[in-house]
This record gives sequence, structure tokens and C-alpha cells, in this order.
Amino acid sequence: MASSMAWLETLRKSRKTALIQDGRRKLHFILLDGRELVEEYDVKTNDLLVRKWKSKNVLGREVKWEFEIGEQFRRPAAGGEADLLMESSSNPIFTRKDTRQAFQWRIRNLPYPIETYSLSVDQDTRCCIIRTSNKKYYKKFSIPDMDRAGLPLQQSDFSMAHSNNTLIINYKKPAEILALEKQVIAEIQKTKESKEGDMECAPS
Amino acid sequence: MAASTAQKVQEVREVTRIERIGAHSHIRGLGLDDALEARNVSQGMVGQTAARRAAGVILEMIKEGKIAGRAVLIAGQPGTGKTAIAMGMAQALGQDTPFTAIAGSEIFSLEMSKTEALTQAFRRSIGIRIKEETEIIEGEVVEIQIDRPATGTGAKVGKLTLKTTEMETVYDLGTKMIESLTKEKVQAGDIITIDKATGKINKLGRSFTRARDYDAMGPQTKFVQCPEGELQKRKEVVHTVTLHEIDVINSRTQGFLALFSGDTGEIKPEVREQINAKVAEWREEGKADIVPGVLFIDEVHMLDIESFSFLNRALEDDMAPVLIMATNRGITRIRGTSYQSPHGIPLDLLDRLLIISTSTYNEKELKQILNIRCEEEDVEMTDDALTVLTRIGLETSLRYAIQLITAANLVSRKRKGTEVEVDDIRRVYSLFLDESRSTQFLKEYQQDFMFNEVDPAGDNDEEMDT
Repeated sequence: MASSMAWLETLRKSRKTALIQDGRRKLHFILLDGRELVEEYDVKTNDLLVRKWKSKNVLGREVKWEFEIGEQFRRPAAGGEADLLMESSSNPIFTRKDTRQAFQWRIRNLPYPIETYSLSVDQDTRCCIIRTSNKKYYKKFSIPDMDRAGLPLQQSDFSMAHSNNTLIINYKKPAEILALEKQVIAEIQKTKESKEGDMECAPS
Repeated sequence: MAASTAQKVQEVREVTRIERIGAHSHIRGLGLDDALEARNVSQGMVGQTAARRAAGVILEMIKEGKIAGRAVLIAGQPGTGKTAIAMGMAQALGQDTPFTAIAGSEIFSLEMSKTEALTQAFRRSIGIRIKEETEIIEGEVVEIQIDRPATGTGAKVGKLTLKTTEMETVYDLGTKMIESLTKEKVQAGDIITIDKATGKINKLGRSFTRARDYDAMGPQTKFVQCPEGELQKRKEVVHTVTLHEIDVINSRTQGFLALFSGDTGEIKPEVREQINAKVAEWREEGKADIVPGVLFIDEVHMLDIESFSFLNRALEDDMAPVLIMATNRGITRIRGTSYQSPHGIPLDLLDRLLIISTSTYNEKELKQILNIRCEEEDVEMTDDALTVLTRIGLETSLRYAIQLITAANLVSRKRKGTEVEVDDIRRVYSLFLDESRSTQFLKEYQQDFMFNEVDPAGDNDEEMDT
């Protein structure tokens, strides 16, 4: 319980900027260790839609945004990465999209029937592993929320469903996480946000 | 079928890209044996045995990497191989040791101050070997497919399928990637790694599952296991970056403000201090090693007194690289003062230098150098012609004789000859004047040139001070 409060503390101590745009409350945090965090909540339902991270590497070089929740829709511009190689759009796409009661992952472009997939939890590395019996897809992922709260992963809390070429994995949020999220939402609603359009920029 | 032959032709053209031949492209090293004795003709180097042996000793010092801030001066007449020795040292040091070559006049720029230019050159010559986490893709090539557009021109598109024991992924290839895949001759069954940020491909070997294919393969073909787990991995890679590169990364203005900052190319001293502290910290934690490199300043007499005094101070820093300078001046004025000094370098700096001197080449050495240059420039020459050219080199200068090689080759080709003969040499010798004949000519016909009415009294100085 103490460690789950630690996360709330780091958010409290970070520098926050908030903005409401397109029906989303967008928050930008600069944490004490210099990492940047962006979260986007639905204004009406307070569902978390996007959470992405950006940090600098050892040499101080900026690296790209890393999505924890939500996904990036923009394709990289020609010239940079597009000149090298990109995953083809026909590959499985792994995204996380939470619901109120559960962590949820959606893997699109997976046409194989549900028997193909197997899911296991690796307690040592705190990872969840999806395997396919036809050796077409393999993914190892962790749940950063659970890591931050220091909670153990339970294999029994996972469930899988498959429809429309999409594999959906659910993990029931434990009570601690639900309590923490409620507090975080209460906290962020205290931050004063600027509406779209009211820029603090005096044109000269 | 037609398309496939077109592809062939294209491929051949891509592989045989001609490298341009520079003045020192025949130099491949210092030409020393294990005991640091100079072989007479080796790795493109001829003669100058004493100077090369001295350079070899310096090289050992650099390789050990313990001693910082030593300075070496290579002094000698024009055309005695000073730059060649420096280039040979650069070649012998290999890829991982930073080697920066600048000319003395390069620091005089309107964009930045002299000391800033020198500091940047210094910091370019210090490497930091550090672990950095990068995303790599590691897998076995299942299929590689490259399509040429139907019109024949335009960008190529391609697909690459990679797999591990657990999964398979299709990648869309960009033009750069296609180029490097064809250059590395990657084919199905190879196990490769691709650095995602830089696109660098590394061939690890062939998959064991392909071991029974009836492939023509060399004895050095290595068989490796197909990788396990996910295709994309984070891996720690050790690489060398220079201090200047780290400076540049960290001095960029962040965010949209970068659009408005006038970038003069100068780096703030605070940034440098911060980086130095960071590097010292990494070094203590054992995260990084310092690789002191070499800064080579050619035509060092072009530096002025302020730069020299800056060098004095910079060499005392414990992060300083080994400094190699070259000059062809004797006792001359120090730029920016009215004092005379050997090599145009102030005595206090000279005192810190180890001086290597080069001597003029003898006839035999000249002939060997010309022979090496003929090979490098792909010119066939008869023995007689080479002897004549050597005599020319002896009487005029080595550089002039080298210039004549390609010119003579063109003349011989125009008369449909296969080899350069004495007549061709004679022809170009009469066509192009060397420096002494040109001076002679000027002395005779000075009256007929423009602005002759101006009294040339002050011209004897020959120094061009600005």
C-alpha cells in the first residue's frame, strides 16, 4: 500500500501543465528525474486514454515518445525512419486500452483462432507472455501500473477473448489500483487547465 | 527476364562505385614491423625511416592511452611526406581511435572564434567509449523481396520477413535499407541484426536449419541458432562517441524555441563543464572509458600567437588528446607578432614538443614513390619513362612529378598507346611548367604583364600576412 502511494507522491511533486482539447483533459508532467509523462483523460468519463513517456538516453539524446496506453497513429515522415525499415501495417498491432475495471490489451491483425494463443505469467521478470502454437506471434509485456504499486501478478486474473481478428486480453484491476486511480483523478482535477484557444502568448 | 537482367546491371554498377584518388590515398599505415623498425617500402610509405620510427613510438604512446596532452611536431621541407606520416598514423590507429585532421588556417572563421574552433577540434579528438541502450531487431531472414517500380525509375520498395523461434514479422523497407541489404548480400536463411536507429546491418551467420542446403558457401560460413523470443530487443551496445558529439547533443535548444535560436555553432562553456563533470562521473562508476585520440594540425605556422598560447593551456588539461603538428617553415615570423622563431612557433610551445624531422628523398626513393603513385592512379609506365620522371622529380619537385603521371597517361591514351613512354613524359613536361621554369619565364617576360608599372620593391618579403 505504501508503494502505491509513492506513485501519487511522484505525480504530486512533478511539474504539471494541463489543457482541455477535443474533449480530452491532457496533462503534461515533468517528473523529478527529468522524464516527461503525458496523460490524456476523457473529460466526461475520466477514462485514461493515453499515457506516454519520453526520456533522454545516457548521452542526453532525446528518444521518441513511448506509449504505455493508447497508440500513435501518425506514420513517421519520409526521410527519417521511413528510409530504413518499418513494421508492415499487416503485422499484429499491440496496444493497451484500459477500461474502468480492468487493464485491457488489444492485439489487432491476429487472424488465428483462440485455441492458438496461450498466456503465461513469468513471476521473476514480472512479465506476461503470449505465445502462439503456430509460432507466428510472441509478446512479452509487463504492467507498469502493477510494478509501480509493487503488486504481484495473478495468472487467474487474466482472461482472453478473440473476435474480428483481434485478441483481447483483460486483467482485473486489484482493489489497490482502483483506489489509487480514484485518488489520482481527484488530484488531477485540482490542476488548473487552460482551455483551447486561450494562449498565454501576447502577440507583439 | 528483361527485368532481371536490368537488375543485374544495376547491381554491378552499385558495387563498383569508383573511389576518388587523393594525394595520400596510397598510404595504408606507417609501414613498421613489430619491433617498430621501418621497412623500407611498406604500406605505401617509402624512405623517411627515422621519422617513421619516431612516429611509431608516438603511436605506441597513443595506443596505450595513458599519457594526455603530448605534442609532436613534424618538420621538414615541402614534399617530404609530413602529411603522409600523419595519415599513416591515422590509418594505423584504426577505426576506434578518434583522429581529427585540420589545417592551421581552418580556425580562422567568421562564424566562431579561434579558440572555439580549436576547442571543438580538441574535443573531437577525445572519444568516450560508453554503453548505450539501443533497439535492435534480431532474427532469421525468411524472405526478402525487392520490387523495382514498373517504370524503371523511382524509389524501390521491398519487404523483409524475419522470424525467431517464436514469432514472425513482416517489415516494409525504405530505400536506404534496401541499398544496405543488397550491399551486405543478405539472403533467406541468414541470421541478421539491424540497429533500429541507425539501420546498421550485422550478419551473424547462417541458420542451422539451412545447413543442408546445396549452397555454395565459403569455409568461413558460420552457422548459428535461430534467435529466441521477441524479434525486437533492447540491447546494450558499446560504442565510441567524441566529446564534441555529446556537447552538440546537449547544447541543442529544446522544443519549439530551437526554431528561433540563432545557431552560431559555438557551444556554451557551461554545457562543456556539465559534460566534463558527467564524463568524470561515468568514469568513476566504470560506465565509460576515455579514448584519447589524435589532433593533427597541418600548416601549423598559420596559427597566430593567441592560438599558440591557447594550445599551451589546452595541452595541460588531463583530457587533452595527443597533438600532432606539421610545418614546412624554417625560422620565420610568428603570426601576429614581429618576433622570429623556429618554425614560426613560440619557444615556450616548442619546448613542449617532440620534434620529428623529415629529410629529402633520394633518387631511389623518389622512383619507388612514383611507382606506387602509378599503381594507385592505375597508370602503366615503361621503365625508361619512370627513370625520366624520377630525374624530373629530382630536379624540380616530387609533387610536380606526381602531377605529370596522370597528365602523361592522358597524352599516351590520346595517341592510343598502352603504356606511358618517354615521349609522353617529354610532351607533358613541355606543356606544363614547373615552379622554377615558371619563375624563369616570369623573370624574362615580367615587363609584358599587367600592373608592371607598380614598383615591386616591397614584394621581396614573400610572407603573406593578413
